[in-house]
Amino acid sequence: MEKKTKETKPVVSIRHAKKYFLAGRHLLRPSDYVKAVDDVSFDIMPGETVGLVGESGCGKSTLARTVIRIYEPSAGGIFYHGTDISHLSNARLRPFRAKMQMIFQDPYASLNPRYTVGEIIGEPMKITHMGGKSEREDRVQKLLQQVGLKPDHISRYPHEFSGGQRQRIGIARTLALDPDFIICDEPISALDVSIQAQIINLLEKIQDENGLSYLFIAHDLTMVRHISHKIGVMYLGHLLEFGDADEVYENPLHPYTKALISAAPVPDPEQARTRHRIKLTGEVPSPIHAPAGCPFCTRCPECRPECLLAPPVMANQNGHKVACYQYV
Amino acid sequence: MPLLEIRNLCVEFKTRGGVVKAVRGVSYSVEEGELLGVVGESGSGKSVGMLAVMGLLASNGHIASGQILFDGEDISPLAPAFAGNPKAYEEKMKGIRGNRIGMIFQDPMTFLNPVLRVGTQLTEGILCHEKCSREEAKNRAISLMKQVGIPSAEERFRQYPFEFSGGMRQRIVIASALACRPRLIIADEPTTALDVTVQAQILELLRDIAREQNTAVIMITHDLGVVAQLCERVNIMYAGQIVERGTLDEIFYDPRHPYTRGLLRSVCTHGEAGRQGLSSIPGTPPDLLKLNTGCAFMPRCAQAMKICRDYMPVPHAFSSSHCDVCWNDCREAADRVTAQESEG
Amino acid sequence: MLQKSEFFKPIDKSEQDSEFIAMEPHSFWHDVWDRFRSNRRALIGLIVLLLIVLLAVLGPFFSPYPYDGMGTEVNRGPSGTHWFGTDALGRDLFTRVLYGIRISLFVGFVSTLINCVIGVLYGGVAGYVGGRTDAAMMRFVDVLYAVPSLLYIILLMMLFGANVGSIMVGMCVSGWVGIARLMRTQVISLKGREYVLAAYTEGAGPARILFKHMFSNAMSPILVQATLAIPQAIFQEAFLSFIGMGISAPQASLGTLAQDARMYMAIYPHQMICPIVMICIIIFALNFISEGLSEALDPTNSR
Repeated sequence: MEKKTKETKPVVSIRHAKKYFLAGRHLLRPSDYVKAVDDVSFDIMPGETVGLVGESGCGKSTLARTVIRIYEPSAGGIFYHGTDISHLSNARLRPFRAKMQMIFQDPYASLNPRYTVGEIIGEPMKITHMGGKSEREDRVQKLLQQVGLKPDHISRYPHEFSGGQRQRIGIARTLALDPDFIICDEPISALDVSIQAQIINLLEKIQDENGLSYLFIAHDLTMVRHISHKIGVMYLGHLLEFGDADEVYENPLHPYTKALISAAPVPDPEQARTRHRIKLTGEVPSPIHAPAGCPFCTRCPECRPECLLAPPVMANQNGHKVACYQYV
Repeated sequence: MPLLEIRNLCVEFKTRGGVVKAVRGVSYSVEEGELLGVVGESGSGKSVGMLAVMGLLASNGHIASGQILFDGEDISPLAPAFAGNPKAYEEKMKGIRGNRIGMIFQDPMTFLNPVLRVGTQLTEGILCHEKCSREEAKNRAISLMKQVGIPSAEERFRQYPFEFSGGMRQRIVIASALACRPRLIIADEPTTALDVTVQAQILELLRDIAREQNTAVIMITHDLGVVAQLCERVNIMYAGQIVERGTLDEIFYDPRHPYTRGLLRSVCTHGEAGRQGLSSIPGTPPDLLKLNTGCAFMPRCAQAMKICRDYMPVPHAFSSSHCDVCWNDCREAADRVTAQESEG
Repeated sequence: MLQKSEFFKPIDKSEQDSEFIAMEPHSFWHDVWDRFRSNRRALIGLIVLLLIVLLAVLGPFFSPYPYDGMGTEVNRGPSGTHWFGTDALGRDLFTRVLYGIRISLFVGFVSTLINCVIGVLYGGVAGYVGGRTDAAMMRFVDVLYAVPSLLYIILLMMLFGANVGSIMVGMCVSGWVGIARLMRTQVISLKGREYVLAAYTEGAGPARILFKHMFSNAMSPILVQATLAIPQAIFQEAFLSFIGMGISAPQASLGTLAQDARMYMAIYPHQMICPIVMICIIIFALNFISEGLSEALDPTNSR
């Protein structure tokens, strides 16, 4: 068990979560599985943001969808305030659904194009039979205001808005039921730069006001560092590194994290000219035929013989956890 | 003589809601071998302007006015040479597209045909523009694939696009853009769909090519990080106009236009730590259907003045390479501009 | 007019509307109607169809002749008293054509409606539940579809007699299969959409997701398919009646009218022409509407 630094209990704990997808059945040899998430564990504390970074196909979105139970985990547990929700039926999940919400990546796909903004934001309340019609309308107006939209936007349709405005509508919808945990699945990667900062600020403001926790998923490390208290780095379904945001960023331990940080483009010509960049060769291996050893061993500049044999276990260095043989 | 010079380009789209002026009087030029960045948000006209140059506008769009000089020759459909003869224009552009100007798009799959082998597509591209034997074209294609860093090119020559990863597909697109040794490459957000580690590789590749072959590159992007890594000069676009232009250092270390400043402040750099309020630009990009008569940035600008609402600011130069379009910097022109407006 | 002294004063915050949207709010269906309206052929088709429907519904009330009222004036040509003339039994052909339109349209619309309801429900459930249930449900559909629909109709007619009801039921036995397959593929592709996932994470039940979120977005292709199915059903009924397997006298559909006129075709061609022209007009109108609708629903479909 890990050491508890605070008295408070985590809002969400993920314990050895695994999600495998069947990729192909074979008659003579075992079936192929895509190991989208493979043995991931961490906690999210009240009022805390955990950032999850990794390249496409690393399983971060699958993990998010498993945590919020769009998918059922293949193994392991998802605990919400101590209750294991990983195998609950849909009916028994319902009370938890209200408290865990999700903001989606694509603001153009996450709002039903056939309904007005008012109907979209009001829907969660309608589903949970919250308040009367006028009460719900009042709340929708309040939520619109909270995300910086105008009262008359309530009767408009999603396609009339810009990407940033739509994302704010999506945020208003998730807030409708007053959740205490929100998963943000790459909420800013489809948005323009000036709008990204707007959304990040809005999320931080809401966190301060409502005291909720975020699981924030992104492939852009700089923004994740800005909003997160803790950062986890994922690669090929595995969690490679986990720790305080500044600690992970300033003092990355895993070779992959180092490469990721050094590859991120910085909006500063001087730094771009002088910065030392770790060049990764090759590409992420297919998750069906993942390496037997450390998932990163095929591209790692510091790969050793033992890395090829078995995946390393998480080593804990004063709360900064890393899965690499260098630190065992 | 600049390689590509755009003079006062205006592009309009007819939509159900009315006429959308996507590009409103844009002028700039690119020299041989130069790396130019065009930065703007979605709807700023950065991509539309380039599609207009290539003659690839959607059917409801057209160039309303302006000149496009490539190598000193006007290649806009409005040019006198093509007056009333769209076929001659199409013919002309066929010879230029892919041959003298290469293009790289955000999604490689819009370019690659999924049912043709990658090698076939590359060789066809070469044969289309150059007179050489199939064997020569094949060898060229393989050496191009090697040049853009595709391992075991001979084997991958026979594979289909779906067998390639996103980064490798983008390399193929770059290879085909390079096939005829173009003098200009227009890259429209080529790295947006790619992962960071791959993105860095692609940018490096583009820069090396530009240096080795003296090819000019116009990089259209919304990512200031990409610009900082690749470009020498930068145009900042907003609502169909260039609001500021300058060298890379001028734009990043001495931004003048409030939009440029806002943009730079809203990205966080490696230096700063913690989560103490990013500064952001409020609101959304303007609705191009109904712009106010003055500066388009006025509704979101923290320094907006009354004149910004009614009158369009004029360019103000800070140096030979650096200028912006903002009333804060061109106050002395106010009398002239307002007098002109009330006359005409 | 802005005063010179005012030029460089900070602007009022109320004038900085950075969330401004110029367009009036407009829903998807509003857009569809706008596009449909601007398509002249589709609009003419709709107007013609509405006129025919109006005529068929109201016409018989104003007609002085009952549809089965025989008279002494047999085989008359068109005249002021009998607009389309009379048939071999002296019945007023215009009144009979109006009744024929009624029955043809009724068969076309109602059978399509029934097919749509069954198809949407069946396909929706199969696509939503997925897995083995889906596979079993779709195999059943395959079996149903393997038997020609003519067989069902003949069978039902033998059991329940030759009337509108048995023709319609016969057409509906396997008629919904196309819609069901369409709905199923739509639902499967909509399953992964983020707004559907969002509704799911809000705790929405299957019925709500299926009918509120998926159906509203799957409707476009289904509507197009349905407007194509109506003329098909009308044709089928007319065809059955024409080969003598349809509605029995004295009731008449456009198909039976044409069948009745067949014997006198050489001598009294108008008896044949009138119902056939009517069928043509109706089918053309419906085809124009369907074409206009498919373009209006998905603008990328237009030429």
